[in-house]
Amino acid sequence: MISLILPDPHLPYRREFIKKRDFLYLGALMLLPVIWPDSLFLMVLAGIYAILSLGLSLFLGYAGQISLGHAAFFGIGAYTTAILTTRYGVPPLGAFWASAVAAAAFAYLIGKPILKLKGYFLALATLGFGEIFLVIVRESRSLTGGVSGIFGVPWFSLAGFTFDTYLKQYYLVWGVLIGLVLFAKNLVRSKMGRALLAVAASEDAAASVGINVVRVKVGVFVISAAFAGFAGSLFAGVMSTASPGAFGLGLSVLIVMMVIMGGMGTLYGPIFSAVFLTWLTDVLGGYQEYSLPIFGVILILLLIFFPDGVGTRLNARLIYLISYWGRKRRRERVER
Amino acid sequence: MSLLAVDKISKSYDGVLALNRVSLAVRQGTIKGLIGPNGAGKTTLCHLISGLERPTSGTISFGEVDITGKEPYEIAALGVGRTFQALQTWGNMTVVENILAGMHTRLPGDFFSCGLWLPWIHKGEKGALPEAKEILESLGLLGRWKWPASQLSFGQQKMLELGRALAMQPKLLLLDEPAAGLTPAEVKKLSEKVCQLREKGITILVVEHHLGMVMEIADEVAVLHNGELIAEGTPEAVKKDPRVIKAYLKGGGVDA
Amino acid sequence: MDPWGLIPQLLISGITMGAIYALVALGFVTIVKASQIINFAQGEFVMLGGVITFFFIKGAGLSYPLAALMAVIVVVIIGFLLHVLVIYPLRKASTLILIMATLGASIVLSNTSALLFGTLPKTLTSFSGEQPLEIGGVLIVPQSLWVLGATVCLLLSLHFLSHRTLLGKAMEASSTDPLGADLVGISRNLMVFFAFGVSAAMGSIAGVLVTPLFYTSYSAGTLLGLKGFIAAVLGGWGKNSGAILGGFALGIVESLSVAFIPSGYKDGVAFAVLLLILYFRPKGILGSPFIDSRRW
Repeated sequence: MISLILPDPHLPYRREFIKKRDFLYLGALMLLPVIWPDSLFLMVLAGIYAILSLGLSLFLGYAGQISLGHAAFFGIGAYTTAILTTRYGVPPLGAFWASAVAAAAFAYLIGKPILKLKGYFLALATLGFGEIFLVIVRESRSLTGGVSGIFGVPWFSLAGFTFDTYLKQYYLVWGVLIGLVLFAKNLVRSKMGRALLAVAASEDAAASVGINVVRVKVGVFVISAAFAGFAGSLFAGVMSTASPGAFGLGLSVLIVMMVIMGGMGTLYGPIFSAVFLTWLTDVLGGYQEYSLPIFGVILILLLIFFPDGVGTRLNARLIYLISYWGRKRRRERVER
Repeated sequence: MSLLAVDKISKSYDGVLALNRVSLAVRQGTIKGLIGPNGAGKTTLCHLISGLERPTSGTISFGEVDITGKEPYEIAALGVGRTFQALQTWGNMTVVENILAGMHTRLPGDFFSCGLWLPWIHKGEKGALPEAKEILESLGLLGRWKWPASQLSFGQQKMLELGRALAMQPKLLLLDEPAAGLTPAEVKKLSEKVCQLREKGITILVVEHHLGMVMEIADEVAVLHNGELIAEGTPEAVKKDPRVIKAYLKGGGVDA
Repeated sequence: MDPWGLIPQLLISGITMGAIYALVALGFVTIVKASQIINFAQGEFVMLGGVITFFFIKGAGLSYPLAALMAVIVVVIIGFLLHVLVIYPLRKASTLILIMATLGASIVLSNTSALLFGTLPKTLTSFSGEQPLEIGGVLIVPQSLWVLGATVCLLLSLHFLSHRTLLGKAMEASSTDPLGADLVGISRNLMVFFAFGVSAAMGSIAGVLVTPLFYTSYSAGTLLGLKGFIAAVLGGWGKNSGAILGGFALGIVESLSVAFIPSGYKDGVAFAVLLLILYFRPKGILGSPFIDSRRW
């Protein structure tokens, strides 16, 4: 009852699939457009980033592997949708799936060699891949429109229904997110979820029980890339453009921060922090040139003071406060 | 009939010879002890058998299969389980999840079927939980099955590692210094448990520093010193072997 | 145009750039040897060296040499601050957190530079004029010779520092055997502190040297830092000799690539080299004391 508001990361045995508080979240999501319609555009963006960080949380938060290049998969998704819809007239739904497949395919190709690396070297390799992606995109003018990108990507549409307003896009994006959350929840509760955690905690032990560590790492890398591909497709459909500026190291760093701050080993945490960080970058954007240095400082402070994620510390604090009355009552009962 | 046969295994690290043409065999259904002073190469041999390291030369066979140079997960899939000298439980999961994860190769499912929670995944999970709880009960850990594994005591975590290896239903069990850091009472419980496993037909290779325990439960003992096998035989014979006594008294130094 | 004919010229610019990469790489390796941390803000030290010198000349009217000296001192102070404010509080944190923290520091430094000094590219005057010398059919700008000469001097000073001074020996001891060094009273944290200072000094000097040749601006540091890191990995991770070899190798490969592939891809070459080396030989050309042989 007490932890109704915030998600708690360290559950004993994750048997409950949908909890009472999930309905609370769902209700809040459905009511948001009514309560606060001005926030809709930001929430659409936040939802897209939430999909991105949900995918990365499987790779980073559960399997413990570092990727500083996930923005590239996001970009691959966006460009795939942009190219397919503007040049080949592929309907948005088809492009949506194709984007995820394209991102997944690239992840598979570079994953197999790269995922033999660990720690700093894996981080560097993924960073390198991200940079190479940008260089190639900027140079292949005929395919990707070079530095300026592709314009005129059509709105996402499904069987004649076009998602052309912020409201419709909001429901679309968060609807997709909910579907992906269900997939991720299933995954995390299953043997593969345990395999991810095993690889994170001790690869040697994982191998000793028969887990093919490289195959697991590649698999979760591919899935997280597919999520990024979905997000990228939605991004192109919402922004109507795809350009290299949006897919750089800065975004990769931002998504990793969302996962760390949300709490490694949780699914809802990264979603909450995606919303928070999207809102934060919007607020800071108002400060123009000061925004990035301030953002960097906030990042460092968060890492120093909340290394386990903001949710854990705040949740514990909140539970402690709220439980004060319960404990007070219990103490009085004992004294009688 | 030897289930495990190590043939003239050598391992050198950048010129330092950790193991020098070591050969030993473990007969099926027996407990073999591997003892020797610190630095003798016992854990290295464990790593070689389980696949975490590759031998510089020599072969290792498991039953009919040559497992030299195979990947650790392949060797595990063939039925070789192990525990680790330095605790390697999965602290980020609960106790019961550690056991369930040990059952990985026996459960169905890959990333997609798990994410979509297809019917056979559900069946697998439902069936696995009671078995995991049974294993925990046999190790005395059932009361804490929902606890995060990191919150167990050191001795309990060592038992958990054993349980995890058992969850694989292994034919051969490699125990790397299982008694290290245990209280005398815990060592007794461990010895009993290992003997029980022998009754069930599991073949066991125990690498141990704790001579008392090994001499009591092992059918055969091999002694490693400075990377070489210096004695092999029944516990009584090995205890009396002058070379073994010299090795332990000298503490692994240069032979006088 | 005949690509092969360009090679000697490209070689010269490759060697010049290679010297800069070597200095940046040495900066990485110095910190890695002391603390096993990769300082993603290393490139920013280089950028700040050039930018702050420019500021001291144009904004404060100092003479060129004095401005350069002041700039180096300022950057060294920044390096010390980086350690005290960011690295030291996180000394027990995981690899991931440290990576993110130094990336954060890189963001702060580069964008603060944009804030304080503007975003326009800056340049400095070459030390001894722009007139290129002709040696054996290739043109060499005098600044290139300064870069190479200064690099050699810096390498010698670094060698002197590690082998002849007490501080240097203490740093070497701490990196080879932290526990042992600790037991004889060498504080690991203090050694890391100094490592950051030494790194910052090398980086900023490299920055002053290279700015006359290429423009510098607030964003130049990130890419330069990455390439310096790649050079360190290429040559042999964790070794000074590796950093130097890798720096020159990367500079030459990158420069020569322009003859064979469109120039827009030039920056991508370094990353391609990174992926190749990580895949085939993560230890680097000369091998690495830090990467174990287990199943690589």
